[in-house]
Amino acid sequence: MLSLTLQIVLNGLTTGLVYVLMALGFTLIFGIMRVVNFAHGELYMIGAFALTVLSGSLHWPYLPAILCSVVLVGLLGALLERVLFSRVIGNEFNCMILALGVSICLQSIALIVFGPDEVGAPRPVTGVVHLGPAVIPADRLFVGAAAILLLVAFYLFLNKTRLGLMMRAVAQDPEMAALHGVRPNLIHTAAFAVGSLLAGAAGALMAPIYTVAPYMGELPMMKAFIVVVLGGLGSLPGAVVGGLMLGIVESAFATMLGSTVAALVAFAVVVATIAVRPEGLMGRRA
Amino acid sequence: MKANLISACGMLLATAAMGLPGLSSAYAQDTLKFGVVGPMTGPGAQWGLAAAGGVQIAAKEVNDKGGLKVGDKTYKIEVIPYDEQYKASVAISAVQRLVNQDGVKFIFGPVSSAGTLAVMDIVKDAKAIGVTGAYSSKALSGSNPYMFRVYSVASDFAEPMVKWLKKNLPADVKRVAIVNPNDETGWDSDKLLTELYGKHGYTVVGKELYERSVRDYIPILTKLLAEKPDLIDVGTAPPGSAGLIVRQARELGYKGHIVKIGGSGPRQIIEGAGKEAAEGVINYLPADEQNPCYKRLSDAYNAMSGNQMNPLLVNWYDGAYILMAAIQAAGTVSDTDKVREALTKVFPYKSALGGTIRFGGHDIYGIHNEFLTPNYIGIIKNGDVVTVGTAE
Repeated sequence: MLSLTLQIVLNGLTTGLVYVLMALGFTLIFGIMRVVNFAHGELYMIGAFALTVLSGSLHWPYLPAILCSVVLVGLLGALLERVLFSRVIGNEFNCMILALGVSICLQSIALIVFGPDEVGAPRPVTGVVHLGPAVIPADRLFVGAAAILLLVAFYLFLNKTRLGLMMRAVAQDPEMAALHGVRPNLIHTAAFAVGSLLAGAAGALMAPIYTVAPYMGELPMMKAFIVVVLGGLGSLPGAVVGGLMLGIVESAFATMLGSTVAALVAFAVVVATIAVRPEGLMGRRA
Repeated sequence: MKANLISACGMLLATAAMGLPGLSSAYAQDTLKFGVVGPMTGPGAQWGLAAAGGVQIAAKEVNDKGGLKVGDKTYKIEVIPYDEQYKASVAISAVQRLVNQDGVKFIFGPVSSAGTLAVMDIVKDAKAIGVTGAYSSKALSGSNPYMFRVYSVASDFAEPMVKWLKKNLPADVKRVAIVNPNDETGWDSDKLLTELYGKHGYTVVGKELYERSVRDYIPILTKLLAEKPDLIDVGTAPPGSAGLIVRQARELGYKGHIVKIGGSGPRQIIEGAGKEAAEGVINYLPADEQNPCYKRLSDAYNAMSGNQMNPLLVNWYDGAYILMAAIQAAGTVSDTDKVREALTKVFPYKSALGGTIRFGGHDIYGIHNEFLTPNYIGIIKNGDVVTVGTAE
């Protein structure tokens, strides 16, 4: 029983860390720009495809391939913000519809370019690691470690860099930030790029673990949505707590009662959270 | 809303990706339309694309020879494929569109069981001929003479496969775990496999049903592996998902046998699991990949779509020719009752791969509406699929 519990927790943590990466980018973009970015799942998918092409088809070494994939998705995010979203910032409904359109376009372009087949990406590490009585695949452990590194880097970026501090200022009070000389346009582009970069990183990290296909972003997008509602829309600590919580809850219920019950419980937890605490676990009251 | 918009767009693009087949013949004087409804995107896409590909290759061959002669007219075949996304609601929309807007009387699909059960009344009311790919036993019924099935299903080949396992695997393989998707297809497979493994002396120590959208099978495998199975059957899991299940089971340290008695796709299992993890997986095969005709069809499909062919394409290719033979025998493209009656008389029919396709199903479904296609057993060895026997 102890080994099963440990296995459940480890499975939940590795899955939850990827949810956190997805949710952080999603909630960062919302927190700063008030954009519910429905295209976030497609940015995850593009990160996965970029790694598959660079590492699988072009035979790049893993590290340059993943770095390049992540940067590419970040740049794509910046481009999307400059060309499209910057025109409708301030109108949440228009932003939502635009994000929806971008999502459909990106998924359809991937379908045309890569076809509907699921493809596999080369794995950076193989084998399993024994942690006491539990077993964890080495590639998942690698993803967990990489996700923690990214989280630490993201935390340092937001708290120790000038750009990060400006982003937080805009998220807390855009008008006051502007009065202090922060240029909202620059911050919006940077926030969209960083948020996209995190989604791309999650996709590129998960590509060798799952198969890669044009529709693969839908489920992570839904999980990111659950996580940010749980944690509080716009709350970065909430995304971390919500992501890990969802990962462990899903792992426990999927192992004990099956994946159908796990999905049911995940949504039941969200409904209960909204009913009891509408702003989410760590969100600010309106 | 998002899902619906993506669905609609996916359907359009899937059609576009097929090269808008039949467009060149759309202006021909006499056109015979064949609809295809199958999952063209998502984890079951291999099966839907196999359906569309098989029918399209057969249609192209006939069109290249001048068309299909029915009575004193010659028809160009136009194929209209729609994506059902393995969802009953989408399958209903697709079939209604084929029947009401496109004026189609001959429909290949839906491929999914849930989709097929949802459209059975629509097909019957429209007096259209449906040739489904559904595995569910409920897809054929004495009350609906318009619905046929294009290939043998698990209830035909599962028992021969379990017997083959009993004969060829070590005697100490006794404990079986079964994994299936949580829907009509999976429930049927779960029931059938549980019954058959039990009947042939195995002990079913664990069963799991998963949601089709799931990609992480580690939690359910953790539970199953705690029961120490000697054999895992991945049933009707789509090939891409089956590949991930195989890989994740191996990652958790499972060293036993893995079998797939259900929807075929060994190449996609290798792609998803990786060559090493997929080694030794025993598969049901609808076609012998060593057959020269298989290579011809595979090359034709690759040239047409750029994708790798799923073996089930052979069944849809044969099915298209069988339906065309029945239409010719009936001498009409509009009176589907005559075509339906003619369909019962074109068997036994010689498969393109050389085996014999018979007509049957009455004992199980109360109606003789199943094309009983030959079945094979294959093992993955060194990243390739080797046919090792038949499951007749």
